This record gives sequence, C-alpha cells and structure tokens, in this order.
Amino acid sequence: MNQLSPVLEIRGVSKRFDATQALDHVSLTLYPGQVHALLGENGAGKSTLIKIMTGIHQPDQGAILLNGRSIQVTNSSQAQLHGIAAIYQEPMIFPDLNVAENIFISHRGRGAVVNWRKMYHDASDILGKLGVHLEVRSQARGLTLAAQQTVEIAKALSLKTRVLIMDEPTASLSVHEVTQLFNLVRTLRNQGVAILFISHRLEEIFEIADHITILRDGKLISSKPVSEVTTETAIRDMVGRDMESFFVKDESRRDDLILSVQGLARSGVFSGITFDIHHGEVLGFAGLVGSGRTDVALALFGISPADEGKIIYDGQPVTIHSPAQATHLGIAYVPEDRREYGLVMPMSIAANITLPMLRRYLTRLGIVKRRAEETTAEEYRQRFSIRASNVRLVTSKLSGGNQQKVVLSKWLNTKPRLLILDEPTRGIDVSAKAEVHHIINELAKEGLGILLISSDLPEVLAMSDRVLVMREGRQMGIFTRQEATQETVMTAAMGQKITVGGI
Amino acid sequence: MLQNRDWRWLLRWESLLAVILVAVIAANIQMSSHYLGTDNFVNLFQLSIEKIIMALIMTFIIINGEIDLSVASVMGLSACLFGRLYDQDIPAEMAVVIALVVGTVCGTFNGFWIAYAGLPSLAVTLASSIMFRGVARILLEDRSVGLFPQWFNNLGQPDLIGPLSFGIILFVVLFGICLIVLQLTAFGRYVYIIGNNKGAARYSGIKVRQTKLTLFILSGLVASLCGLLLAARLGTVRANAAEEFELDIITMVLLGGVSIFGGTGTLVGVGLSILVVLNLRNGMSLAHYSGNIQTSVVGALLIASVLLPNLMRDTRRLRQWRDFRFRPRETDLEEEEGTWQAVG
Repeated sequence: MNQLSPVLEIRGVSKRFDATQALDHVSLTLYPGQVHALLGENGAGKSTLIKIMTGIHQPDQGAILLNGRSIQVTNSSQAQLHGIAAIYQEPMIFPDLNVAENIFISHRGRGAVVNWRKMYHDASDILGKLGVHLEVRSQARGLTLAAQQTVEIAKALSLKTRVLIMDEPTASLSVHEVTQLFNLVRTLRNQGVAILFISHRLEEIFEIADHITILRDGKLISSKPVSEVTTETAIRDMVGRDMESFFVKDESRRDDLILSVQGLARSGVFSGITFDIHHGEVLGFAGLVGSGRTDVALALFGISPADEGKIIYDGQPVTIHSPAQATHLGIAYVPEDRREYGLVMPMSIAANITLPMLRRYLTRLGIVKRRAEETTAEEYRQRFSIRASNVRLVTSKLSGGNQQKVVLSKWLNTKPRLLILDEPTRGIDVSAKAEVHHIINELAKEGLGILLISSDLPEVLAMSDRVLVMREGRQMGIFTRQEATQETVMTAAMGQKITVGGI
Repeated sequence: MLQNRDWRWLLRWESLLAVILVAVIAANIQMSSHYLGTDNFVNLFQLSIEKIIMALIMTFIIINGEIDLSVASVMGLSACLFGRLYDQDIPAEMAVVIALVVGTVCGTFNGFWIAYAGLPSLAVTLASSIMFRGVARILLEDRSVGLFPQWFNNLGQPDLIGPLSFGIILFVVLFGICLIVLQLTAFGRYVYIIGNNKGAARYSGIKVRQTKLTLFILSGLVASLCGLLLAARLGTVRANAAEEFELDIITMVLLGGVSIFGGTGTLVGVGLSILVVLNLRNGMSLAHYSGNIQTSVVGALLIASVLLPNLMRDTRRLRQWRDFRFRPRETDLEEEEGTWQAVG
C-alpha cells in the first residue's frame, strides 16, 4: 500500500524522566499523504513523543530520520526548518493580531518593512488552498476556536510543513466544526502532508485515520492500518484489558416524576423547553456547542434563573433562584469546566467533597469537624476508587478522571435526587470514562433522575433513556431510545437545512 | 495551623519569620538594656496598636482576594467625627457610638460596590479613601480638637488593666477570635475558597457576595474603632489622623505570607510578621535610627517577602511544569499532602 518513501521515521526512541520510563524503544513511521493516529491513555507517552519530534526534548536513545537521513531536532524553530509543525487543543494565536499576521508570525528575514499587500495576498492564497473563507484582516480575538485552529493550520502550511502533528485538535470543537476540521485534514492529506493525529474520541479516529498506532506505558503496543483495527481491539490495546465495547445503561426508569419543566425560557438564550425526568431515568441533552444546553442546566441550578415557564420539582411548583436553594431542593450540577467551577484546586480532596454541605460538618460552635469530613471523603474515595493515597491530597495533583470523580463525589454528598451532568467525560481517558459511565448507571439504579449533557454522541445514545435535542436555544424534539440514532439526533441538532453525511 | 494551599512552603515561610523574629529580638537584647522591660514591650505595641488590630481584619480581606485601601481614611474620619461632635458639646459616649455607626456605614458603602456591583476593591477603596479623608478635612479643617474626658483618654493609655492598655487587650482577644474563625470555622474556609476560586464557590452555593460584604462592614467598624483608639491615645485629633496607615497595615499582612492575589496565608504568619515589624522598629529606635530609616528597612523587608515566596513558587512551578509536560502517569506524581486539615 505504501509505495511512497516515509517522510519521517522515529526509530527505537527511549526517554526516561527520573524514575519513569516515559518512552521505551518506540518506533513510528509517517508517510506523506497519510493520517496516522496516535492513541493511548493519559500518560501513555504520546506527549513525550510529540515533544521529541518538535525538539522540546531530546531522546535518550534512538534516532529521528527525515527523508531517510538522521536529523537532530534540538528546538522548535529547528523542527520548523525541517518542516515539522504541531497544533494543539488550545490554539496558540496572538489575539490582538489579525489573521494574516498570525499566519506569518514565524516568518523572519523579510526585511525591516512589512509588505502588507503581499502578506494579505499570500494569506488569502493559503486559506484559499485550504478551501476556507476567512477575512485575513479580521482580528484573531473574535474568531471561534475552530477558526483559530484553521489559522494555525494555515500558519503551518505557510512554513512548508511536511509533517503536521495535531494534538487533540477536536477536544473543544462542536460536531459541526469537527466535520469542517476533518475536511481540512483531508485537503492537507491530499496535498501530501503527513499528519500525526491524536484524539481521545475513537469514532473520530476511525473516521479520519489511515493507520493507527497505540502506546501504553511508554511502549508501542500495536501499529496497524485502520482496516485491521476495531474499537474493541483499540480499547483493549490502550487499557491492557478487555472492556465492554460501549457501555449501555441498564433499564432503571421508574414511573414517578422527579422533575417536570414546562415552557422554560430565558430571554435571548433559550425558550420553549419542556420535558420530564423520572426517577431512575437518564435524559440526554444533545446539540451542538452553544445550542443552549448548559444554559438550561444553569437555570435549573439557579445560577442564571429562567424568566418564564414552570418548574415542577417533586410534585411542587418551584422557582429556583440560587445554587444554595437548588442544592437544598436536591438538585446537583456537575459543571463542564472543572477548573473554573468544580474544584478548588489547591485544597484537599476532603475539603472539596464537603464544600456544598459544609454546615453538616460543624460543631455547635461552628468549627469544622475534620475527622468527620475525612471519613466522608474516604467513603467516596473507596466507592469510586479515586486514585490518591489519601483524602488530604490536594486535588490539583490528581488526573482529570480522578478530579472528575472528586467533583461527582462532592455533588453526590449533597444527596441529590436530580443530578445534572455537564460533559462529565470531556478530557478524561477511556478507562476513567467507562468508570464514569458505570457510576451514572449505578446512580440511576438508585433512583436518581439524571440530566446528561454531552457532545459525545455515542455516549449520549448509550447512556440515555431519552434524548432531548437542542438547537440555537430551541428544543428540537425528544427521542426515545429506539428513535434516537446518530442520524436522527444529528439531523435535529443541525436543523433541516444541513444534510447529514455520517456526522 | 495550616489552612494553606501549600503547607510545605508555608511552613518554611512561617519558620523563616520565626527565625527572623528570634534574630531581631536577640539583636535588640544585645544592643540595648532598655529593650527587656515591661514598659518597653507595652510601648512597642502601643505605638502601632491601631495598625496591628486593623491588620487582623485586612488579613481576611486580602485572603478573600480583595483589598481595603480606605481603612486609614475611615480611622481618620471616625476620629475627626468624634472630635467635631465632642467639640460641639455632644456627650463623648454618644459621639463614640455615632463614629462607630458612620465607620460601619463607610464599610457597607465599600462592600456594596465591591460585592454587589462587582467593582474592583482596589478602585473602590482608593476612591472612597479620598472621599472619607475629604469629609474628615471638612469636619475639622485645620483645627485640632482635644481635651477629651478622662475615661476616653484612659482607653488609649497603658496601665488600664495591669500594665496593659485597652487596645492591647483588644488585640489579643481579637487575634484569638480571628485565629479560630479564619483557620477552623466554615466562614474562614469560605474566605479562603472565595479567594481561590470564586466560580467554584458560587457553584457550590457559597454566598460569595454576603461574605465579601460582611468583611468590608467589619473592616469599617473595626477601622472606626481604631480611629477612636488613636484619638484616645494621642488625646487630640487632626484631619490628617492615621494618614497612610493603610500601607503599614498591608505591609504587615503581606509580610506574613498572605498572597496579594488571595487564597493563601495564615493568621499565624501575620501574627509573626507583626511581631517582626514591631520589634525591628523598636530596636532601631532604641539604637537611635530615624523613622525614615526604619521605614526603609520595613519596606525592604516587604519587597523581600513578596519576592522570596514568588521566587520559591516560580522555581517549584517550573519544576512542576516540566513534570507535567513529561509526566509518565498522573497517579505517580509526588503525593503532596494538602492543606486544610492539619490543626496547628
């Protein structure tokens, strides 16, 4: 299949950091015009490998060959000279410069005076080649994340990049934007660029990649054409054991309602939201990023209350005007942004878990009962197998998946009856994700009503009893488990005009 | 007493302060035979008593992620208001109550704009400090008022209770209360949490606004009390009473290891830094160094206190960042025990 000669070869590269072997004789071959996916859990060695390719770190052993010749990459500008570029989840743009300036930011030796006309012309030229319409004079600050990524890709192209490393470029994009990004990736591939693509979303990998390499604990586990890899084998290779291909929620829905929402609206944000949640039911909230799902959740949690519509909770009509009141009612909200709204990072696991319910851990004089607090936290640590030696550990030291379990524990400790989960598995690795799915299943069995907001469509479909689809602040419909498929949900999420082509 | 984000660093910082304190005391004993005497110790506290009381409240405010630059003006205003009212034959008791009420109103005014209008405390209290000082000047212009009743003046003098003054007793009691409240109670924890992550605090149902408002009201009340103490200690008030006190107060808090960005620091550290500053100034006066030199030394100490922890933190961050980028497995990271729980 690969008559072409490889553009970049990594041969037997090893790297050690103090006590840990980050990479252990890893080899990787990139061909021009090929999308090569790199898979692995957090800490498998993907980042180290990228850092070696871009010259941020030097290998202890092994060689990097460019077009068959051994090269030394000692810093990122050298990598650039060799035609190796990397783009990351968070685009590294200069917000106050315009699109063209950002594209040509790394070009040097062009004399003292900028030839603006030529720069704008060249910039539109590159963007044109990518098939993107972006005003080259517009300020980068106003661009969407996806557009900023496009600028980064254009920047890489302007540098005559032959190897493009994309480190989780889709993590913060909406489904629609992912589609656009993939079109870009295909354009680049057709132009002969070798692409190393990293993502946690398996379905994306299968859609875009030609070849899949899997790392685990710094070792190369497998490297095969995509046709020889299945979801099951990929997951097994990544985690080192077999797992259910995709976890499907058990039937646990009861007949009694926990929440009924009628015509909920918040002017300018969302309107006409009507749904029920039963005890033991998971109601999925699907839709593109920015479709208003989180806003509905924030209204139910009292952060930004709704100004129209009825909320009937536990048979009683209620107005919810503060998180404290929502918590008191038994509504808990696990926010999407753990760092910003979920955790107080420099504080211990125990202090984080008891935070919303601190008044339960006070002596009569108002002193915090630390032992009681730690006992509670310890229960959750064991129940959710949070990987930390003890609950006095500060949460900033935990991995994303374990931090998410701390946030979950924090809210479950409020003994909620309605749990709102906003992107609960974003940015956590495959095995932590599966654990979170198990926890959701268990909670539903215990009779909690769960509102699950997720942009991970397979997750929503597998975990939800029913799926509510939103688009631009409106409710597009509610699908039962039987009705909800990738096609029906995506059609609703994207409106009628856009035809759905395999997402 | 380890309610802090990184107790190892804190431990080092507080022990550093303790070492400095011991060194200063040792040097003072060496230098002057007058140093070790009850009178000198009482005097040492008396000279800055209003500032050190105020530093206790300022600790809460800065840990909460805010700052109150208006405390000195509130002190001045309350002292001048008291003087003016007393001068107009209003009974001193009544004047004291009115001054305290007005101080509380000043604090509420600040707190409202900061907590409910969401304005930055730096700007609000800078502006209000000018305003309050202006009112004080309107009240007394360039007069000075004195000849207060004996009972009032006694509040500012030593030997009220044993060799101690009312202010010193108040400081000790307040220090104890603040220590317990900040380090052990739910309110104290909320103060830290809001200083660390306002968003998470709000989403956890913590009343961020009320907490901030409470602190600023308290700040106004205590500042006006301190203004009255100043009037009683000096026996006379002028419009420039307590001018620029806020700088010394903030210095003591920051020197105590409280981060100007909020979220970190302990009252133990602030207590130690107060002792360091007072003993340093006292020793230098005993050695006949001028006030200007004293101020310069304290300023240098403050710069060191801001610089040193930052340097320590930066090198640590640098190391963490390196570890982070290349970390093999997140669970293998150094397991640093955190914060909160240890009771000092």
